[in-house]
Amino acid sequence: MTARPHQVPLRRGPPAIRETPAELYERLVLGRYIIRRLLQAIPVLLGATLLIYAVVFALPGDPIASMYGEKRMDPDIIRIVREQYHLNDPFIVQYWHYISGVFQGDLGTTFAKVPVSEIIAGKFQVTLNLGLTALLMEAVIGVGLGFYAALRRGRAQDTMVLAATLLLISIPTLVTGFVLQLLLGVRLRQGTGIEIFPISGVSDGWRSYLLPAFVLAGTSIAYLTRLTRTSLAETLRADYIRTAVAKGMPRRRVVGRHALRNALIPLVTYLGADLGTLMGGAVITETIFNLPGIGQELFRSVYERQQPVVVGIVTLLVLVYILANLIVDLLYAVLDPRIRYE
Amino acid sequence: MRVTKGAKIIASTALLALGLAACGSATSTDEASAAGAVRMRIGEPQKLFYPGDTVESEGAEVLAAIFAPLVKYDENKELVEHVADSVKTSDNRVWTIKLKSGFTWHNGDPLTAQNYVDAWNYTANQENAQSANYFFARVQGYDALNPGEGKTPSAEGMSGLKVVDDTTFQVTLTRPFSQFGTMLGYTAFYPLPEVAFGDDGKVTEEYAKKPIGQGLFKIDNPYNKGSDQAITLTRYDAFPGDKPKFDKLQFKIYNSAETAWNDLQAGEIDVQEQLPPSAISTAKAELGDRYIDQEDAGIGYIGFPLVAGDQYDDVQVRRAVSMAIDRKTISEAVFSGTRAPADDFINPLLDGYRAGACTACVYDPAAARKLYTEANGPKQLEIGSNMDNGHKEWIEAVANNLRSNLGVEVKVSPYEKFGQLLDELDAKKYTGMFRSGWIIDYPSPENYLTPIFSTGAIKNGSNYAGYSNPEFDELVTKGDSATTPEQSLKFYQKADDILLRDLPMIPIFYYRMNAAFSEHVKGVKINLLNQVEWVSVEKVV
Repeated sequence: MTARPHQVPLRRGPPAIRETPAELYERLVLGRYIIRRLLQAIPVLLGATLLIYAVVFALPGDPIASMYGEKRMDPDIIRIVREQYHLNDPFIVQYWHYISGVFQGDLGTTFAKVPVSEIIAGKFQVTLNLGLTALLMEAVIGVGLGFYAALRRGRAQDTMVLAATLLLISIPTLVTGFVLQLLLGVRLRQGTGIEIFPISGVSDGWRSYLLPAFVLAGTSIAYLTRLTRTSLAETLRADYIRTAVAKGMPRRRVVGRHALRNALIPLVTYLGADLGTLMGGAVITETIFNLPGIGQELFRSVYERQQPVVVGIVTLLVLVYILANLIVDLLYAVLDPRIRYE
Repeated sequence: MRVTKGAKIIASTALLALGLAACGSATSTDEASAAGAVRMRIGEPQKLFYPGDTVESEGAEVLAAIFAPLVKYDENKELVEHVADSVKTSDNRVWTIKLKSGFTWHNGDPLTAQNYVDAWNYTANQENAQSANYFFARVQGYDALNPGEGKTPSAEGMSGLKVVDDTTFQVTLTRPFSQFGTMLGYTAFYPLPEVAFGDDGKVTEEYAKKPIGQGLFKIDNPYNKGSDQAITLTRYDAFPGDKPKFDKLQFKIYNSAETAWNDLQAGEIDVQEQLPPSAISTAKAELGDRYIDQEDAGIGYIGFPLVAGDQYDDVQVRRAVSMAIDRKTISEAVFSGTRAPADDFINPLLDGYRAGACTACVYDPAAARKLYTEANGPKQLEIGSNMDNGHKEWIEAVANNLRSNLGVEVKVSPYEKFGQLLDELDAKKYTGMFRSGWIIDYPSPENYLTPIFSTGAIKNGSNYAGYSNPEFDELVTKGDSATTPEQSLKFYQKADDILLRDLPMIPIFYYRMNAAFSEHVKGVKINLLNQVEWVSVEKVV
């Protein structure tokens, strides 16, 4: 394309001048669509709190008594502590105490009197960083590898990518986590003194997230690679691609603009749904790498029957899912102009 | 394309917001980097630092660095005064405790006898719901502070606690207890400074986040439970006794022992207690002298439901079960040597242990089967246990032993938590054998007897078997009131003999303490309470 600089100023300018009535209408429809989606999320979130609260409530074992390990505590002291946390009340009363607190901005406290909001505020960031780093790795490596393989379908490189992804899919996160931690974290450092990958914690800034994010994203990278490969390979066989090639369009433009963009739709769906999965799946990764995120907290809280913490964290994860899905739906329109919102 | 534009704007805003969130640094969780600190792994403490509400090991480890106990136990397991100048009694009932001079709180206030009385009264009061409450049950006037549910205590403090002067106080017990002195080294008996208490008389949350102690180290910053990953302490230079040879101590919180172990190997932490099972087999070879393997005061048992069921009422049946268990193989193979086969109800770490005292603990499958057949033991046995913390493996090994050696069917009933098993046992819903264990509260042989086997411990204690024998109770009481340690021990051993005869539970193994330290430190010693002795630790330059 030759540069046509005179066009640039023409295309810019305040939207008020540019926007036609039809555009205004579309924008309002879109705004209404988003608001409606967000309103729909409210009953979902409420339902989620009730469900999770009930599930944790149904778990056997007294949270107070089990705090004291295997020693039997003075029954009077246990009763007094249970009273403090309304644990002697029936389920629905307990839930009412909880949910009415939530509406007043109080997410409750743990059985050690630590406010749940404080815990989540401190830990959500870590999990979000981990989840987004993993998502980024997944998108870059997964789409990149898939793209590479699709263009070399049936050749040795393609087979190698397929084999590598198969391997990645079949090894559990727990194994990749510990093995990579031992090899890159411990052995590499002992052998060479190179400290690229911290073993645990978040004190090394963004470097702390590299290894855990890769471990977390591992399976997803493999799936996404295969998805990209198939999707792109199929699109490349479509009629309009043949037409574009026949027209004499450069190969780069055919693949990059015509094929990839259409092949992206299933990938975006997958990626969007995966952010929630990654954040929810952080439990194992965070434990292996001792990242102080909500995954580790969730695991411990379930074990300790800390209802308010479990409900708070899971509801937050539900919210992440809802938002991620909304973003995916909005991205569809970017990729395919034929899609409209009602 | 019109929709696309709108969608583009919205979608990119949303992405940008997410991206920005990702860029924000998680400052609240950053470990304060304490350069040159000695770093030790702990699990997350269960609560904030209320000494009277800390009955678990992680919180106790931190508190032990911040507070100094009245008494300590030296390398020969002898009781030595630490903050106390003397602990005296003539009748085992009235105890006079005199403090050494020179101890100050980390805020500079002098340590007084009143600080102890205040703290103990606070912990003993049911209104404060402190989990170490039961430690004070022997003190006169405890009942007035613990009238039970729905009732208000009728006194301000325990009548048995009396301040004599600034540095002396007197403790009167309801009845003589010769082992009271050994209890004083425990977390529950730390004092509290005046500033700990708020206007309502309760220990404030602010204090529990940043406790002011009178021990070796003072805490740098308030501890935000749930978000902080490290607790950093600085040596308290006005401490009057032996001080540590390094000035910064950092506790790093890891939920996974495996991760901590990797960090220890990489030199990111210096001390780790509780090595993961996967590390035990290689730790010795990898670390050499930096691997610690020593005796631990804990015991693992199999208990019989003497109240809940009647299948095991015949002592010969219990004896046969005991003799059919191969303790040695379980300790060595299942636990890779991190347990030792048990042969007494009193742990070898303490005075009073007699090697081989438990004749029913000797593995003899043939004799066991003969005895079992003669006693007409039940055709089916059941063992209940929680399956976490490595219990699954050894319970299954025991079940296999019983299957092959007694020729009976054995059902293993899994529970998620030990508490559940206890509840069902109490409700007589579960009537089989059960796994149990004991970690001492204070290092006295008496601690292996009263809390687990006395009649009083059925309701208020850990007598899960529901064993009750007046003869046993009386011997323990005699030991409690005996005037010399030797006499006490004699009575406790007699009480032990009765347990060995009646076998309400059978001891299976003694725990062992496995710890390791990095190349950056030396002189790491771990005491009877499984806490590191920081005074002997040195940094390797």
